[in-house]
Amino acid sequence: MSGIKNSSSQNFRLGVFVVLGTLILISALYFIGKRQNLFSNTITLYAEFKNLNGLQLGNNVRHAGINVGVVNKILMINDSRIVVGMSIQEDLSQHIKQNAIATIGSDGLVGNMLINIIPQSGDGTIVKSGDTIRTYSRIGADDMLTTLNVTNENAALLTADLLKLTTKILNGKGTLGMLINDSLVAKDLKKTMNNLKLASAQASQVLRETNAAFKTIQSNNSVINTIAFDTVSGTQIKNLLANLDESSMKIKQMSTDLTNYFEQLKDADGVLNYLTNDASVVRSIDSTLFYIKEGTYKFNQSMEALQHNFLLRGYFKKQERLKEKKE
Amino acid sequence: MAYSQEVLARFRNFFIEIGELSFFAHRYFKEVFSPPFEFKELLRQCYQIGNKSLLLVGVTGFILGLVFTLQSRPTLMQFGAESWMPSMVSISIVREIGPVITALICAGRIGSGIGAELGSMRVTEQIDAMEVSGTNPFKYLVITRITAATLMLPILVIFGDAIALIGSAIVENLKGAVSYQLYFGKVFNALHFNDLIPATIKTFFFGFAIGLVGCYKGYFCKKGTVGVGEASNAAVVYSSMLLFIIDFIAVFVTDIFFEI
Repeated sequence: MSGIKNSSSQNFRLGVFVVLGTLILISALYFIGKRQNLFSNTITLYAEFKNLNGLQLGNNVRHAGINVGVVNKILMINDSRIVVGMSIQEDLSQHIKQNAIATIGSDGLVGNMLINIIPQSGDGTIVKSGDTIRTYSRIGADDMLTTLNVTNENAALLTADLLKLTTKILNGKGTLGMLINDSLVAKDLKKTMNNLKLASAQASQVLRETNAAFKTIQSNNSVINTIAFDTVSGTQIKNLLANLDESSMKIKQMSTDLTNYFEQLKDADGVLNYLTNDASVVRSIDSTLFYIKEGTYKFNQSMEALQHNFLLRGYFKKQERLKEKKE
Repeated sequence: MAYSQEVLARFRNFFIEIGELSFFAHRYFKEVFSPPFEFKELLRQCYQIGNKSLLLVGVTGFILGLVFTLQSRPTLMQFGAESWMPSMVSISIVREIGPVITALICAGRIGSGIGAELGSMRVTEQIDAMEVSGTNPFKYLVITRITAATLMLPILVIFGDAIALIGSAIVENLKGAVSYQLYFGKVFNALHFNDLIPATIKTFFFGFAIGLVGCYKGYFCKKGTVGVGEASNAAVVYSSMLLFIIDFIAVFVTDIFFEI
């Protein structure tokens, strides 16, 4: 009887032991599966990268710092295109917009790789299953090390050059070396500085005076002030200059016309041409005028004689009377 | 000359033993699915192997998790990576340390127990008496024990892993002020099916190996009380060695079929 009791007690304990062990295993599987979104509704988003930097299946996907899913597919299209499928929890995917950008990062300095989905400002439509979001390839650790290597090499060259420079300076070579090591140069430099100080004081004085002169010009009703600051006078001067310009243009045109006219006059067979150019004509005119003068004198004598003639005397008396009447 | 002959004889005995063990295993697979089935004895053996080993496995696992975390902390702190403690401890324990340590403890406790029990039965001719009385001693004694060890060891390993993680969490909570929720959250973030499933599958093989070697050594025990001691000792040594060989093969196969 006690053997049967013992047996059933053992079986009960064994049952508890087995059930508990199985429950622990199932719980562990459930929590691991839950983390991989096996028991929740998910959507799949895609992103295309050039380099995954060690991203693996099962790595986390974060949106605004929250784990929203895992990487569930990695597909290599060609040597520069790798498509990554991300299983995102459906309830959390409502906050991811189509303009979001996916980048590959790491969880801390030595942590696992992960995909960060960075939200962008502006209104965008909510993603749906099968959408591909934009990506941004950040600089990888290898690239950083390569850059660092170049920087190191440059730094080595720079320090070598710097060493040469400091050696020269310490040896008193070059301008800097002379400045540091030669006391005479230092004295000269001091003098120069004093001179410069004086020069600057004088320059300051000149500037003050110039400033005062300008102020006087501004305050007085001088021509310069009018020209410089009076807008009405300025407009008038502008108009005057414009008129002057126009007049000079006209004068120029007129002188051109006159030149042309005189050219034509010189070349033509007119009287004036002969008068100006032919000396014989001048002489003929001179003799003609002489004869005219002589003829006029003789004509006056003849007319005097006619006035005293009895035939015409009456006419001239009549004329005199009419003249007197008018007066 | 005599030395070389001795070495050759040892090699020969080694291969003979491997061959006999293989025949023993073959006989197990041949008879395990054929009636009559000794369910009561199987349950009794399960209780003896599973429940009776739980305390030992639990205490060992707890101390293992505790010590492992305490020892790893300073090194991780040097790198400023103490936040990675849950991930490191959980992956180490679930993948390797938990199954192997639990299996070694069981090899010591179960393997030696089976070897001594069957060996003494052989020495006292109880097995012969069973054969004479028409009971199949192989079915009653061997199949039940090997099956019980095969079924119980995975459960013991699961308990061992869980208790070790609890021990680790207690240290992290006391030393690093990490909450239990955060600790186990990080544990399940770090673990994948690839860690848990292959590790659990290989523990069935561990249990089978412990039961098989223990039963084989006890079943073919030499006469005399010395034979019982030798059988018990050999059961522990051979099963422990076999565990590491199985572990190596398991890791190798896991590496091929699962992406670690």
